[in-house]
This record gives sequence, C-alpha cells and structure tokens, in this order.
Amino acid sequence: MNADSISVIKVRDILMVTMPPDPDDPTVSALQDKVLSAMERYEAKGVVLDISSVETLDSFFARTVSETAQMVTLMGGRTIIAGMRPAVAVTATEIGLTLGNIETALSVDRALDMVTSKPRSKKLQ
Amino acid sequence: MKTQMRPNSGQKQKSAAAKEITQNSDLLQLLVDSIKDYAIILLDTDGNVLTWNSAAERLKGWKAEEIIGQNFARFYPVEDVEKGKTKMELKVASEEGRFEDEGWRVRKDGSRFWANVVITALRDKNGELRAFGKVTRDLTDRRQNEEKIKKQAQEILEMATVPVVQVWEGIVLVPLIGTLDSQRTQQLMERLLHRVTETGSPIALLDITGVPTIDTQTAQHLIETISAVRLLGAEVILTGVRPVIAQTLVHLGIDLTNVITRSSLTAGLRMALTILKLDVAPLKTL
Amino acid sequence: MNAAAQGEVQIQTESDIVIARRTVREAAAQTGFNLTDVTRIVTASSELARNLFKYAGGGVMRWRGIEDKGCLGIELQFIDQGPGIPDTGLALQEGYSTGDGLGMGLPGAKRLVDELEIQSVVGKGTKITLKKWRKS
Repeated sequence: MNADSISVIKVRDILMVTMPPDPDDPTVSALQDKVLSAMERYEAKGVVLDISSVETLDSFFARTVSETAQMVTLMGGRTIIAGMRPAVAVTATEIGLTLGNIETALSVDRALDMVTSKPRSKKLQ
Repeated sequence: MKTQMRPNSGQKQKSAAAKEITQNSDLLQLLVDSIKDYAIILLDTDGNVLTWNSAAERLKGWKAEEIIGQNFARFYPVEDVEKGKTKMELKVASEEGRFEDEGWRVRKDGSRFWANVVITALRDKNGELRAFGKVTRDLTDRRQNEEKIKKQAQEILEMATVPVVQVWEGIVLVPLIGTLDSQRTQQLMERLLHRVTETGSPIALLDITGVPTIDTQTAQHLIETISAVRLLGAEVILTGVRPVIAQTLVHLGIDLTNVITRSSLTAGLRMALTILKLDVAPLKTL
Repeated sequence: MNAAAQGEVQIQTESDIVIARRTVREAAAQTGFNLTDVTRIVTASSELARNLFKYAGGGVMRWRGIEDKGCLGIELQFIDQGPGIPDTGLALQEGYSTGDGLGMGLPGAKRLVDELEIQSVVGKGTKITLKKWRKS
C-alpha cells in the first residue's frame, strides 16, 4: 500500500480526499503531504476528507488528521471529515477522541454543502 | 473318542443360568454399541478411558484404539482442565454417586460442542469404586436454537427500550424512558448512531422527559452519546430538561455548555427546524 | 468459530501493524462479536501493536479464542522485550482525563475491552493481556 491509495480530486475549489479502508501508517502520514501540496497547487478553499471506507480509527490516524486540519486552517482552508461509520464513531468516543474543533458531516454531499455555504458555527444556543 | 459325562441337573441349571447371563451381557453390549445418540463409555477410577462405543466415536471423533487408555480430560477445553474441572467431576461423582453437567466439550479435531454429561460412580457389592460410567449427549442443536431465540428476543427488547424514530426528514427522536446504565448507554449509542447514518439525519432529538433522575454517571453517559453523534457530523438537541433535572445537573457540576438543551420536546423540535432552515407555516386558504 | 483457534503475528515493521489489525478483525468476527465490538477490539489492537513497534523495538501479538461458562471471547497478548513500563498504574491513567481529544493509546485500549492486564519489568520487557467477552 502506498500514498497513491489516497485519492485527491479537485472539485471546483474544494479538495475531495478519499481514504482507503485500512491505511497503513506510512499511508496515513502521506495524507498530510498530499493534502498540503494540493492545497497550495489549487489554492483550494477547503478539504473534504471522506472516511466512509475507513474501518478503524485509532489515535495515530486521529492525530494525523487533526494536525493536517490545523495546517489546512493555517493555509486559509477549512477541513470537514465526512462519512464516519457508526462503529468507528462509538469506538473513537470511547477512546477519548472528539477531534476537537474539526467539523464533521454525515456524508460527502453534506460536507460539500457545508464548505460551499457560509461557515456555520457548531455552537448554537 | 469322546468321553461322555452324564450331566447332572445342578450342572445343567448352572450352565443355563450362565448362558442367560452371557446372552444378556451380549445384548447389553449390543445395546451400548447400537445407541446412536448417547456416547456411553467407561472410565477407570483415574478417569482414563476403558471402553468406547460407536456413538462416542461419532460424537467425539476418536476411534476406540486411539482413545482407550487416555484420560477423559482430553474431551474438555483447556481452560476447564486448568481449573481442575475434570478432577472435580470425578470427585463429586465418587462422593455423591453421580455428577451431571452441561457444558462445552472438545472433539478430536479441536472443535467444540455443547453437551449434557452424566458421570456415574460404579461400585461393586463391597461398595468399592471400580470405575465410572460416562454418558454424553450432544446438545449443540438445541443450544443453537436457544441462542437464536435469545438473540431475537434481545433485538426486540433493544428496539423497545431504545426506540429511535424518524420524525421528519433529517430529524430523529429518541424518547428515553427510565434510567441509563452503562449497558443501556451502549445500546443507545449504537442504535442512535446507526439510525442517524441510515436515515442521513443531521439532527437527533434526545428527549429525557421520561428519565426520572439523573446522576453523574447518567450525565456522563449522555455526554458520551452526544460526543459520538457529533463525530458523525450530526447534532444532538437534549430536550425535556425539567426543573428538577436542571437543578441536579447544576448541583452536580456537570458541564453541558457545549450541548444544545431545551426544556420541552416542542422547543427542541423548533430548534431543529431552525437549524435545518425549515419553517412551519399555515396552509394558504383558497 | 472453533474456539481452540489461535495465532500470532510478529510485529517488526510498520506494515505488521496492518497485518495485526486484519488478523484480529477476522478472529473477532469469527468469534461472533458484533460489528461495534469487532471495531473496538481491532482499534485496541492497533494501538497496542503500534506501541510494540514504536516504543518497544518490536514484539509479538498472540491471540486465542477463550470460553467461560458458555460465553465465548477473545484473548490478545502483546509481548515485547523493550524497556518496560516503570509505573503501570500511571500508564493506564496518564493523559486520559487530560486528553487533547485525540485519543490515548493505552488508557483508550483499556476502555474498549473487558479486561486489561499489564506485566512489565523495567529493562526486560512487557506483556499486555486483553480479554473481551461476547455479551450472551
């Protein structure tokens, strides 16, 4: 498995990044480089990270994704994680994973809606 | 030349009786050999296999010549042997006359089956322990059926205790009734997350009107559930927060500032519609 | 599944972590765990396998089907000859409550399983045993 198993596609000014089902550590690490260089090349407004195929989300993956999102923010973009599987969400919560301030969406469709509309604050009280 | 002996009647009776005993014991042997459903074997006082029958071969996999002389611990899972189960069984059988048990047994190929086992202490006229009789019955089918029924009952119970209802496109409702222990929370989380994903609903109304009291643990469970739903990309509105619950939460120092809460389900629904940019308007009259 | 099933995976390279995950996934599924529990077991294994690789200089993961009073389960062992953990109690607690929202390896793994035991000798190595039971 290598970094090519992560697909990065430009859709208008958004980067659609799709993760493979069970990426090994080097692939996960490659995510960061791929996303950031694509952000630069296309001057994208944001990144939609599709994890609908991902079966296991451990702390290493979470950390890498979180760092990448922070870097994307620094480059002026927005990151939305889409399509998390229920079993993954349950397990992630139990190991203390809340992904902090990273936005999440039920599906890639909704994520694209979110990124193309005005940013909505997560806290609505 | 044959020597003829005049058979006296006593001898005749004895040999007739002996013949009957031999016949009966032959028949008994035939019985043991022919029975298909029960593995009937003899163990010596240490538990080593003395005799075998065809049902035992069919059920457990070993042929007679392979297993005679070996200890019956071979029929038990490793964990049970380590715990001393086989020794215990012989001891109980020896002290009380019999031992009966239902449990896992192991075949020659390592596979397991659920069995009913009766071990009987065989004592002679002097009360001396001569051997143990072991009768084993394969209950795997029955157990599989029981498991199936249990699973179905469990599923029905789960649906009943944690109903997740879709009330509108994009909105699901969980009317919680009763207290939330760890097990129920797990059920709640799994079921709610599954339904949210299945229906693609970005809003989940979690109504706790029917939750009588809230303690720190229940609150933690709720917060955990809300976290998990958020990870998916959906939002939770906690509704039905009655005055007594609000008081308890504050007194317990539970931080729900990151959670959207409303006192009534109606208010929660209104919030949900706002988030989804929907509105309820009266029908235009003609 | 044949509850006497067992196996082991040598963890020496990064790709072994993936092999460990896949092996555990199949073993857990065969034991009859539901999807959420399979995910828990695989995630815990991923954390510990990575620890073996990153901090212990490699090691071995062993798994086997277990049974108690009719309940099936799975037991996993992560064994290394690394530096050892000086304070196992602390290791299980550390960072969990002050988590940065990114999930903690060892304390996280503990939450995902029913039993977790650490045996460690500083300078000699560590053995971590996990057990999870099917809810019957």
